[in-house]
Amino acid sequence: MPKTVIDAHTISKVYNPDTIPVYAVNNVHLHLEEGEFTALVGPSGSGKTTVLNMIGGLDKPTEGNIYINEVDITKLSQSELINFRLHNIGFVFQSFNLIPVLKAKENAEFIMLLQGVKKKEREARLQQLFKEIGLEDKMDVRPAQLSGGQQQRVAVARALATRPRFILADEPTANLDSVAASKLLDLMEKLNREEYMTFLFSTHDQRVIDRARRVITLVDGRIASDTAAVSTEFPHG
Amino acid sequence: MIFLLAWRNSWRNKARSIVIMLSVAIGIFAGMGVLALYKGMMKSRIRTVIDSEVGHLQIQHPEFKNDYHPSYVLPDGNLLLTRVRSLPEVKIAAPRSIVQGMLVTTTSSAGVQINGVVPELEYATSQLKQKIQTGEGFHPEKKNEILIGKKLADKMKLKPGSKLVLTFSDTTDNLVSAAFRVAGIYQSGNAPLDEFNVYLTMQALNELLLTGDSFHQISILLKNDEMLTKAGAQLQQLNPSLLVESWKELSPETDLMVNTVDQYSYIIMLIILIALAFGILNTMLMSVLERTREIGMMVALGTSKSKIFLLVFTETIFLTIAGTPIGLMLSWLVILYFQKHGLDLSGMGEEMLASFGFGTMIYPSFPGEKLFPILMMVIGTAVFSCLLPVIKALRLNPVEALKR
Ligand SMILES: Nc1ncnc2c1ncn2[C@@H]1O[C@H](COP(=O)(O)OP(=O)(O)O)[C@@H](O)[C@H]1O
Ligand SMILES: [Mg+2]
Repeated sequence: MPKTVIDAHTISKVYNPDTIPVYAVNNVHLHLEEGEFTALVGPSGSGKTTVLNMIGGLDKPTEGNIYINEVDITKLSQSELINFRLHNIGFVFQSFNLIPVLKAKENAEFIMLLQGVKKKEREARLQQLFKEIGLEDKMDVRPAQLSGGQQQRVAVARALATRPRFILADEPTANLDSVAASKLLDLMEKLNREEYMTFLFSTHDQRVIDRARRVITLVDGRIASDTAAVSTEFPHG
Repeated sequence: MIFLLAWRNSWRNKARSIVIMLSVAIGIFAGMGVLALYKGMMKSRIRTVIDSEVGHLQIQHPEFKNDYHPSYVLPDGNLLLTRVRSLPEVKIAAPRSIVQGMLVTTTSSAGVQINGVVPELEYATSQLKQKIQTGEGFHPEKKNEILIGKKLADKMKLKPGSKLVLTFSDTTDNLVSAAFRVAGIYQSGNAPLDEFNVYLTMQALNELLLTGDSFHQISILLKNDEMLTKAGAQLQQLNPSLLVESWKELSPETDLMVNTVDQYSYIIMLIILIALAFGILNTMLMSVLERTREIGMMVALGTSKSKIFLLVFTETIFLTIAGTPIGLMLSWLVILYFQKHGLDLSGMGEEMLASFGFGTMIYPSFPGEKLFPILMMVIGTAVFSCLLPVIKALRLNPVEALKR
């Protein structure tokens, strides 16, 4: 039986609860298993970022609980959360993911360094990662000299380096042209297949949505549809 | 890695970093310059006090200072003088007879201290010869000659060759008066002393005081300043019944001035550094705010608060410390130059400087002994100026930061 990595129970995020409450996320259930390759889709303002931030332990839900590998992260303190993120979750953000003063390989090394991985191990992993992302020749280059797509691939390498439980990517292709977007998706798919890495990414780009194995659609902070749910509840349509 | 990051971040905005480095350098340069000037002035003041005012050490009858009664001569003075001269630390020792009295001319009068000196010895001990501005000084064949200070001469309208009368009481409390002719007018850098001290030959004064070949004071110059404590203790031990005093006790105002100026120079340094601190604080705050997104991202990835703290702190330290060697080098070179060639402060007013006992030529001296405290203060400044930026960085909410 596949292992559950994310289990979000009726989570809601309410802004301005005292004046005019805004439900950025409303009663969302989300269940993700190891090895999934899932897209969170929806128009701008539908709550994708908010959901990802809550699952990633960057933001706390107003209501509900989130279990990551059976740990309720809504109960963790600020500093416990920082440590939890460091050891369990990989992040890829929309843009400006990399630290500009660090070389590509140093950026990818960042989380390994924070975790205190030994130098020899880091070096080996970096070689392997850059081969995987196809940027062996760009290891010593600063982010500014990389294209947007290359930067995002380095960000994926960084997220992957310490083999987290899953990788959250908030609109990782939003600033990429379609070729670069497609290449990034190729990489993510390959990692999902070969390293069995779980991905949850948000997007509103149809070409990206088409590549996801499971698509959860958000509208106004609510789940409007979930292909996994559809396939289990209504087999064969 | 945090250090690498801090180091590279320090060079991110080169212009800004260089401005900070230069302001630290200039601040330190200015501070060191002031300290060097002070130290030079103090050194020259101490030099003057020792070489031309009181010597390193003086020996007197313990009662003499109380009312300057002429009967308090040094017992067996000449024997004592021989013994003092035989000490290896002693370079020269000069006897003086001293009495307080009145100097009277046809038009005015003034209270003075009359010093009876052996000219050759006095010339060597207190540089009296070099201080003579007009007139020839004592003539060996003439008695009843007097040297007076320029300030007194101006006030009393006396010139070389002028006649005046001194009145004082002798050892038997009889009032004696005698006429003297001005053989020279001297000027030291210390106007108040010039106004008060007049010089006769010891022989002439002793005849009037009825003290024979006795005298009241031995003024001693040592071979070097470092021997002061040891030689002073030794002399006191050899002559327990006499009063042995060093220049610090003889010129307490100088000692006080040296100490006050010392504290003062720290205050000046502190003011400079506080001004610097606000500049650095401002820069670091800007640098943190500019990187809101980046720092937010680092926190999102799992960078602990202590590492963020360390990052901002280290960057501040780098910026602050980087300017320090430049400032120190610069001040060292400039001070070295003026130490050799002197700094002419006559623009500030010769009279004013002289009234405080300073000459117009100052030879600044590198305050090497203050290097460590200054470095400590600079680090303190860096710590102080990183506080607010650090707090800003730590308060950063990654969700908000990433939205930018
Ligand atoms: N700090 C905030 N205060 C008030 N409303 C917010 C705040 N952050 C987000 N929202 C609102 O929450 C909703 C969901 O936003 P978001 O999760 O960013 O959507 P998406 O990522 O799908 O574009 C939006 O309507 C947005 O205006
Ligand atoms: Mg969004």
